[in-house]
Amino acid sequence: MLTQKQFFEKAGAGELHAVRCGRCGALAIPPREFCPECAERAWQPTTLSGEGTIASYTVIRVAPRGYAGEVPYAIAAVQMKEGVSLLGRVVDVPFETLKIGLPVRFRPLTKNGQTAVGFGPSS
Amino acid sequence: MRRVAVIGVGVTKFGRHERTSAELFAEAAAEALADAALPPTAVQALYYGNVVGGETEKQLHTSPQAASVLGLPAVPTTRFETACASSHAAFRHAVMEVGSGVSDVVLVGGAERVLNVTTEESTEYFAYASDARWEQTLGLTFPGVFALVARAHMAKHGTTEEQMAAVAVKNHKHGTKNPKAQFQKEITLEQVMKSALVADPLKLYDCCPFTDGGAALVIASEEVARKARRPIWVLASAAASDWMLIGDKRDLSRVPATERAAAAAYRQAGLGPQDVDVVELHDCFTIAEIVATEGLGLFEPGMGGPAAEKGWTSVGGKMPVNPSGGLKAKGHPIGATGAAQIAEIVTQLRHDAGGRQVDGARVGLTHTLGGNTATVLVSMFGRE
Repeated sequence: MLTQKQFFEKAGAGELHAVRCGRCGALAIPPREFCPECAERAWQPTTLSGEGTIASYTVIRVAPRGYAGEVPYAIAAVQMKEGVSLLGRVVDVPFETLKIGLPVRFRPLTKNGQTAVGFGPSS
Repeated sequence: MRRVAVIGVGVTKFGRHERTSAELFAEAAAEALADAALPPTAVQALYYGNVVGGETEKQLHTSPQAASVLGLPAVPTTRFETACASSHAAFRHAVMEVGSGVSDVVLVGGAERVLNVTTEESTEYFAYASDARWEQTLGLTFPGVFALVARAHMAKHGTTEEQMAAVAVKNHKHGTKNPKAQFQKEITLEQVMKSALVADPLKLYDCCPFTDGGAALVIASEEVARKARRPIWVLASAAASDWMLIGDKRDLSRVPATERAAAAAYRQAGLGPQDVDVVELHDCFTIAEIVATEGLGLFEPGMGGPAAEKGWTSVGGKMPVNPSGGLKAKGHPIGATGAAQIAEIVTQLRHDAGGRQVDGARVGLTHTLGGNTATVLVSMFGRE
């Protein structure tokens, strides 16, 4: 089983990990105890390509305390090539070019030793 | 299950207050008990909603505190926290306590105090209702969550920013007829469209305000309710959940928890969306109202935007939504909102809503959404 801590440690190193159900093949990220498709507990570790496309996006203009110095910043729900989705910051993509369907690539964003999910241009 | 009725309702003025959330709840509860014509000693339990008391008031254990401030220190109390749906969740459980025969009279409600902290702080505290490690670390906000919903809905259905703005204009118009509303003035489509961006494409006037306030309901068994002056019967109360993480939600243009809770509520009541005369639903953002009207089956998917634009959801329209002004104009004290929505529907079904009355309303529905769309409660009410 992949813990949340392990996921983000690997993500910080540029590797996007997930788990695949050994019974029905369902893919999950982050991992859960039971497979939501078949209720089995037979997860096997797998890695993702990091490639995906934007499913929806926004540009945050009013931020929570602690993020006010970073506005404006883009956040997108990204559908990964393998089928699962992840929410992440989008960096190095001009806001006016953001659109649903835009290809992006996973990129770890590490600040003060803590990694968050990010995405940058696909190439 | 025994039949259960709401026999008393009370709501404070919504807006900015200099009182604690417990004091605000006590005012609403006193009003609800007076409306029910019952003494406080009749109350057998308190089911209470409060969300960010720990952050804005440095106060946990808010349900016994509320009971103490009300002067009922000995009744059993429980605090419910399902983000913005908290007091609607409290209501559902109170209905089960009365329906099961454990108690005959239960007080339900909630209160919230947030205008005593800065917008940056309250934006942070509300964001605690999204996942701490996966989402808060991105700087995600609640306007941000519903902006993602809006973009997905626009892409799938062609919903426009003007249609969203029409929801704000309509709810502000309704709010002018509600003396308890935080905002009681009309706004124009142009004002909404020209307001500052908060999270693209949502603008300031697409967002409900931060609000202090309290709301309370007295619910009772059929035996007690038969002696009450104006009981309104609970026809259904249902809850549903969905994945917590945005990434796990497969179609951001929909709120599956709304669809599941609505299906359960219609089944309990033996009614369908065509039987509903008036709705109070969770318009934390204008797009949230559009998606909710579709999820509740009031309109086909993709028709929520045109319905708002054509005036179908106005008082006087074919499916009046949020006659109170909704969260948008009435205000959104998150721990009190579910109870306040029920108070409005009870008032509507009693035909006691004055200038915002939906003519001849016999069946009403309330819908409350928690935070990132992971919690939804739907309840239904009738005159007989």
